[in-house]
Amino acid sequence: MPATSIDTFFACSLMVLLVLSAMASTSKLLYPYIDYATDKNTAERYKEFSEYLLLNTGTPANWGESNQTILTSFGLARAGSDVPYELDINKVSRLNNENLFAINYAQMFSALRMPDVSFKIEIKPVFNVKINLTATYTGTNQTVYRFKVLTEKHGAPVASNLKSYTVAENYVETASACALEGEGYLNATLPNTINGVVLLVVFAESTYNDKISSFSTYSFAHNSTPPKPSGTFLKLSPLNYTLTASSVNQATTLSNAYTFTSNYNLALTQTGNSSNSVTYSIPHLADACPMLIVVTGSNSTVFFAEYAAYPQVPLQTGASFEGSEIRSDIFVYAHLVTINSAIYECNVWFGGPRE
Amino acid sequence: MNRANKGQIRIVEAFLAVLIVFSSFTLSANLTVSQNKPQREDLAIDGLNTLTKLDADGSLSNYITNRNWTSLQEAVNLALPTGASFNLTVFDEEMRQVNTAVISNGGFSNQRIYSVEYVCASRDMMFHSYIIHLDLAVAS
Repeated sequence: MPATSIDTFFACSLMVLLVLSAMASTSKLLYPYIDYATDKNTAERYKEFSEYLLLNTGTPANWGESNQTILTSFGLARAGSDVPYELDINKVSRLNNENLFAINYAQMFSALRMPDVSFKIEIKPVFNVKINLTATYTGTNQTVYRFKVLTEKHGAPVASNLKSYTVAENYVETASACALEGEGYLNATLPNTINGVVLLVVFAESTYNDKISSFSTYSFAHNSTPPKPSGTFLKLSPLNYTLTASSVNQATTLSNAYTFTSNYNLALTQTGNSSNSVTYSIPHLADACPMLIVVTGSNSTVFFAEYAAYPQVPLQTGASFEGSEIRSDIFVYAHLVTINSAIYECNVWFGGPRE
Repeated sequence: MNRANKGQIRIVEAFLAVLIVFSSFTLSANLTVSQNKPQREDLAIDGLNTLTKLDADGSLSNYITNRNWTSLQEAVNLALPTGASFNLTVFDEEMRQVNTAVISNGGFSNQRIYSVEYVCASRDMMFHSYIIHLDLAVAS
């Protein structure tokens, strides 16, 4: 074979290789742009959905007030509000699965009218309150329980003013403290004549803005057996400023019902009584924090204190996206929302088939 | 140069050409991918949402009217998502800086910065309007 033929063969082979490589590289170069554009369009679409959820009232506009209402389109905004991202206290409460009148995911899904999109909604206070019992001082007539309260947002301390209510059988005690570095101490003093489960309710208001608040509870035993988990005796369902307390079993006797906020401590008025539930009227309070409703009673000889927040937060409802990140496009949108003047954090997850 | 060596030189040339073209493709491909990192486009929306929420009840204008820069800084810091760095500047109607202290939760490094402009009106008897300039970045 002459040298020129070998030369041409090699040159042609290299040219073919070069062209093929150029084609492969071009597709590799363009792929991120195409993929990014698709992602951006999907993200934009889901962002619009999340805003739609939080800026529209749904149909009918007052669907949160009654479980008799048939929900035809889904939205959480308060009807007649001129504040963006202001949510309805009852619509939010009906998202919580612990509420007797909660709507289920199938109802939400069909009312949102987006058959190719799954979603999850989370509403919670902007920061967290953690309560730890650090010491117990037992005296002749009374026992003092000392609690360490931490206020933090993702590990960063939050300066706040603390207010606590200690609820025992026919007994309510109030205390307050400051947690300027995100750490405060509260005492609960209980007479030794009382025995049974005690519920400590702690509210924390940001020192710099009282619209940003949070709360937590802590159950402990005082001269008695350890407390049972929340929801053992009663199911509390606040809706439309009415509390429905449903007995989990028949042998329950209710004694007192209270509503607590940072500045108010009121006894609730009973408005109805049926075979296995009691209703109470919840007052409209001006405080920019959730109301914490506590109902006390006894089951045979065991005293209990059950509680629920109104709006019923923190809550998480909707589809579970655990382990589906590989198969699906999942986007999360965080918003600050207002419910009854208080500011909360709302996260909305959307997931759909990967394009 | 004799005729037998001429073909070898062409092959060497072709190899060099392939090497150059491949190198440029490899370099440019890497550059393109590094530019395609996920970005927090919604950080500016978070900033605007934060200022709107603080302004809804008049807190924002109260901080400015009372020159309470510490409270303004802490409130913005609490309301913004964790991991967001910010730097806030308040201007009056004539674009003169009003805040006498730095309102920030830390310095920015060389990240991408998003800016939000927000106009806030005072709610007291004497009307004032303020222009709030909020720079945001994702903390590295």
